[in-house]
Amino acid sequence: MMPGSTKNEAMVSLVLNIRDGDSHASFSLEAEPHRTVLDLLERLRAGGGVVPAYRHSCHHGSCGTCGAIINGLEALMCLTTAGDLASARPRLPGGPAVEPETDGQGAVVVTLEPLARMDVISGIAVVPGRVFAGIPGEAVYLAAVENAGRSPLPADPEGARAEGGCKPDAAVWRPAGRVRFEACIECGLCVSACPVAVPFIGPAALAAVNREREKRPETAAAMLALAAAPDGVGPCGRHLACSRVCPQAVYPGKHIQMLRNALGAAARHAAGMSAD
Amino acid sequence: MFDPTIPTRHPGRVCIIGGGGTGAALAYDLALRGFSVTLLEKGELTSGTTGRHHGQLHSGARYAVGDRAIARECMEETLVLRRIVPDAIEYNGGVFAALSDDEADYAPAFIEACQEAGIPAREVPVAEACSWEPALNPAATRTVWVPDGSFDAFRLPLSFFAAAKRLGAEIRPFAEAVGVEASGGHVRAVLVRQAGSIRDERIECDYVVSATGAWAGVVGKLAGLDVPVTPAPGTMVAVRGRVSDMVISRLAPPGDGDIIVSQRGLSIIGTTQRIVDNPDGILPVDEDVAFMLARADELAPGFSSRAVHAVWAAARPLAGRTSGDGRNISRDFMVLDHAPEGVAGMATLIGGKATVLRAMAEKAADHVCRALGVLEPCRTRDFVLPSWRDWYAEVLP
Ligand SMILES: Cc1cc2nc3c(=O)[nH]c(=O)nc-3n(C[C@H](O)[C@H](O)[C@H](O)COP(=O)(O)OP(=O)(O)OC[C@H]3O[C@@H](n4cnc5c(N)ncnc54)[C@H](O)[C@@H]3O)c2cc1C
Ligand code: SF4
Ligand code: FES
Repeated sequence: MMPGSTKNEAMVSLVLNIRDGDSHASFSLEAEPHRTVLDLLERLRAGGGVVPAYRHSCHHGSCGTCGAIINGLEALMCLTTAGDLASARPRLPGGPAVEPETDGQGAVVVTLEPLARMDVISGIAVVPGRVFAGIPGEAVYLAAVENAGRSPLPADPEGARAEGGCKPDAAVWRPAGRVRFEACIECGLCVSACPVAVPFIGPAALAAVNREREKRPETAAAMLALAAAPDGVGPCGRHLACSRVCPQAVYPGKHIQMLRNALGAAARHAAGMSAD
Repeated sequence: MFDPTIPTRHPGRVCIIGGGGTGAALAYDLALRGFSVTLLEKGELTSGTTGRHHGQLHSGARYAVGDRAIARECMEETLVLRRIVPDAIEYNGGVFAALSDDEADYAPAFIEACQEAGIPAREVPVAEACSWEPALNPAATRTVWVPDGSFDAFRLPLSFFAAAKRLGAEIRPFAEAVGVEASGGHVRAVLVRQAGSIRDERIECDYVVSATGAWAGVVGKLAGLDVPVTPAPGTMVAVRGRVSDMVISRLAPPGDGDIIVSQRGLSIIGTTQRIVDNPDGILPVDEDVAFMLARADELAPGFSSRAVHAVWAAARPLAGRTSGDGRNISRDFMVLDHAPEGVAGMATLIGGKATVLRAMAEKAADHVCRALGVLEPCRTRDFVLPSWRDWYAEVLP
C-alpha cells in the first residue's frame, strides 16, 4: 500500500486491541488505507484516548523503536498501514498469508503485543536491552560506499575543518570517502521472532559482528571469537524467522552463515598449519 | 573512552522537562557541570519533533543570506558534532543547484553570505557536481558545494542521553510533567506521572527548564505562564533507494520541498510549513505528497518514480507568535526566563534546530549557572560521546 495515495480510498474499519498489562485496551476506528498503525495510535492519543504506552521516534522506519507484534507477526508500526492489515498477511514469520480476522460488524481485528524477550515498561513499550547486549561496543555504524562510476566526493576544504578548531577525532575509526549508515536499524524484530531458547547473543548482534569483520579486517579475529563463543552462532537452528521479519533486508541468517563459513575456513587453516 | 571527571558537585537540582535533542544536550551539559539532573519525557525519548526531522546536518548555507549569525553557528556546531558524535553522521557534503535564471542570479549573494558566515561554499562547474551525483538535474545552470551532511535524528541525541546518564543524570522516558509547583514566587517542584501509574510523584528542584519544543506553550500553562511558541508542522516524503550521498538543495531562498536528504537506504524530500494550535498527533497533509514529489523531480529527475516508503510530519517549535504562516519568525533560539512573570527558577529553551542542540544547551546551562550562582564553564565540546548503544546497554537489568 502506497502511503500518500489519497483519492477515493474506501475507509478501513478497525478494532485495535493494544496490550496493557494483563488485558487489552480496545479502540474502534475508521482509517484511510494509507494511514499507519503508528498514525492511528497518535490520532487516538491526540483525541484524548488513554492509549497504552508505545515507543516511536522517526515515523519512517529509521530509528527502530516502534516494533510490535501485530497480529502475530513482528513489524514496525510506522510502516504497517491500515490497508496492509485489511489484506491477507502472514500470522507468523514465514507462515502463509491469511485473510484478516473480522468482528461481527466486519471490522478488521488488530492485536498489538509488545516484542517478545524484552522487558515491558508499560503497554507495548519495551526496553530493547537484549538487542543491544550482544552488539560489540566498538562496532562502527558507518560503512563505506562505492563511487560506482561517480567521481570521488570533493575533499573538505581546509576552512571547513579549521574554523572552530575541530578536527575529527583521530582515535575514532571512520571509513574514507562516501559513507552511509548500516542498514540495520537495531529494531529487534529479529530478536523477538527468533525461537532459540538457550543463551544466544541473537541475530542482530551476529549480523553486526559479521559486518564489523567485513568492514575492518583488523577486528576479524575478535569478531570470530565472539561468533565461536557458546552463545555465538552455535545455538542458531537456521529457523530464518530473523530474515523473514527484518524490515531492512539485513538477512541476519545470511550473516550467521557467513560467520560459520569464516569459522570453518579459520579451523581448516589452523589444521593445515599444524599439519606442517 | 568517555570518562570525564566532574571537578565540583553542585547542590543545585535541575529538572528538565522534554526529552528531545535539546533536553538531551542540556541534561548532558548540566551533568558535566556538576548539577544533579532529572529529565522528564512524556513518551519515548525523541518522540516529539526531534526523531522526525529531515536529518540535515546544516552547514548553515541555507540560512546565510537571511541571518549570518545563525549560519555561522550551524557551521561551528556541524564541526563540533562531527567530532563528538562521528558515528551518527553521514558527512558527504551538499550541493545547491540553480534551476532557473532567478536562482542563477542568487548564486553570488549566496556564496558571499556563506563566506561571511565562515562556511567555505564554492561554486563548481555543473558537470563536476553532476559527476559527484549523476542524479542531480543536468539542466542546472549553477552549482555550489557546501559542507552539509546528514545525521541520524534519533541516534545522535541518544548519544547525548547516554553521556548524561553515565554522569549520573536521571533520564526518565514515559514520565509526563503534569504540574509545576511554585510558592513565594519561586518554583519548588514538578509533578510527574509515569506511564502505567495512577499516582503522581513530586520532584523537588531548584530550577526547571522547559525544553518542550512545540509543547512549550502547553507546559508553560502548567506554571500559569503564557509562553509564545508557534507549532509549525511540515510534511516529509521518503522514497526507497538513494538518489545521492550528498544533500541536494535548491539554490534559492528557503521554501517548500527544496531539500533532498538521503540517509541509510532512503531519499527524503522536505518539507512544507503550516501552523497549528495543538502539536499532538500531527499527521502528514496528504495534499503535500504530490507537490513534494514534483519538487523533488525538479532537483533529481526520476525521484517520484521510486516507491514511496513513508510519509510523516513533525512540528517546528518556532519561538514567537505569528498571524501568517510562520515564515516571518526567526529560526533562532532563545532562553526565556520566567522570573519577570512571577515564576522565578524556571526558564523555557525554545526555537533553534536539531543541528544546534549543543549550542542551545550551552546557552541554557549558562543561564542556569547564573541563576544558581555557579561559575562552571561549558565543556561539551571536549569529549567524544559514548555510542547510543550505551544508553540501552546500561539499562539492562
Ligand atoms: C519538518 C521538519 C524538518 C526539520 N528538519 C531539520 C533538519 O533537517 N535539520 C535540523 O537541524 N533541524 C531540523 N528541524 C528542526 C528540529 O527538528 C527541531 O528544532 C528540534 O528537533 C527541536 O528539538 P526539541 O528538543 O527542542 O523539541 P522536541 O524534540 O519536540 O522535544 C520536546 C519534547 O518534550 C516532550 N514533552 C512535551 N510535553 C511534555 C510534558 N508535559 N512532560 C514531559 N515531556 C513533555 C515532547 O514529548 C517532546 O519529546 C526540522 C523540523 C521540522 C518540523
Ligand atoms: S537485523 Fe533487521 S530485524 Fe534485526 S535489528 Fe537489524 S534491522 Fe531489525
Ligand atoms: S518510528 Fe522509527 S522505525 Fe518506526
